[in-house]
Amino acid sequence: MAGPAHPEAMAPPTPGRTRTAPPQMPSTWWSSPRIRTYLLFDATGIIYFFVGFLAIKIVGQLGEGPIAWQAQMKALENPIYIVFHVISLISVIFVAVRFFRLFPKAQPPAIGPAKPPPGPVIHAGLYVVWLGLTALISLALAGVIL
Amino acid sequence: MSTTEKTIVISRFDPDQDEAPRKQEYKVPCDPSWKVLDAVNFIKDELDSTVSHRWSCRMAVCGSCGMMVNGEPKLTCKTALDEYGDRVEIEPLANFPVVRDLVVELDGFMHKFESVKPWIKRVKERAEDMENFNEKGTYSQSAEELGQFKQFSMCINCMLCYSACPVVANEPEFLGPAAIALGHRYNLDTRDEGTEERHEIFRGEGTVFSCSYANECSEVCPKGVDPAAAVNQAKFGAVIDWAKGLVLPRAPHAAD
Repeated sequence: MAGPAHPEAMAPPTPGRTRTAPPQMPSTWWSSPRIRTYLLFDATGIIYFFVGFLAIKIVGQLGEGPIAWQAQMKALENPIYIVFHVISLISVIFVAVRFFRLFPKAQPPAIGPAKPPPGPVIHAGLYVVWLGLTALISLALAGVIL
Repeated sequence: MSTTEKTIVISRFDPDQDEAPRKQEYKVPCDPSWKVLDAVNFIKDELDSTVSHRWSCRMAVCGSCGMMVNGEPKLTCKTALDEYGDRVEIEPLANFPVVRDLVVELDGFMHKFESVKPWIKRVKERAEDMENFNEKGTYSQSAEELGQFKQFSMCINCMLCYSACPVVANEPEFLGPAAIALGHRYNLDTRDEGTEERHEIFRGEGTVFSCSYANECSEVCPKGVDPAAAVNQAKFGAVIDWAKGLVLPRAPHAAD
């Protein structure tokens, strides 16, 4: 990995230069709905940390045998777990919608002669794949297919 | 048309006297047609000549008058004062050291700009062999080729994107939206041959991969440049270029 391309960028002022006040946060930064939405988006990382932790625990219980697995399944029926999973679902939908909205414009304008489809097509495609996979997995878990 | 009195709160900082920025209130009779900049100019001209701020063109072209207005980075010559209530807080752009009152330090920003080599780079010995090198000694470019980067060349260096960027707030050394968008603009230019070199810069510490795609830069951009798109397209380009470098020999860098 190369070093920073701009080592002096925004460095504190050196002696001899005009004295400056350090960068200020605007006094009302928290009042912007956009900033609040972004903070909420960032905070979803905490939920995924616990989701990951729980997933590892469940896999571990599976390895412990059928009794441990049944006990874990029983524990997941606890209302606290159910509330946690509802919050996780809402957070996944929130992050996915945000990601789908921003994904099309991150595509390169061209890769050689090939050009990506228009933004709305990519956007719609993401939703189709997401909903399609969700339906497939739901059907598989319900035992309708597979 | 009648005027309305508004309280304009300005962040003041005198490097010779103040330990830290402080707030000062002014009662300003505002015309309904005013932009925020008009109110600051009124204060400077009529109420307190010691207030310092930058401005020039008053038509959203020079990029000088960026300030925080009620906590949002705004180009004050383009922002109607009527959009706000009776109390308007004006502060210097966030994430920049403050030189005085509403004037921020630009040195770091200029270093960042320079670091992406924002000019057309050519491999000199190959210049006349280029297919699109015409008899006038210039490089032809189709409208479609121009269209690929034109949006990213509309930046007026107002620095609002740096003020809005949460990554710049946490990592001041982050190369930042405008500089990356500018580098990407040259990478997309068919006349340029410095893409590999810029991608090498983009793969460095504190550059494109520090971006968490908050999209705040694009939300506040007054010219619709969409720097977030440029940064994230640059990520893709930098990775592809790195992968190509694993299997293909590197071409010599273009001359500066």
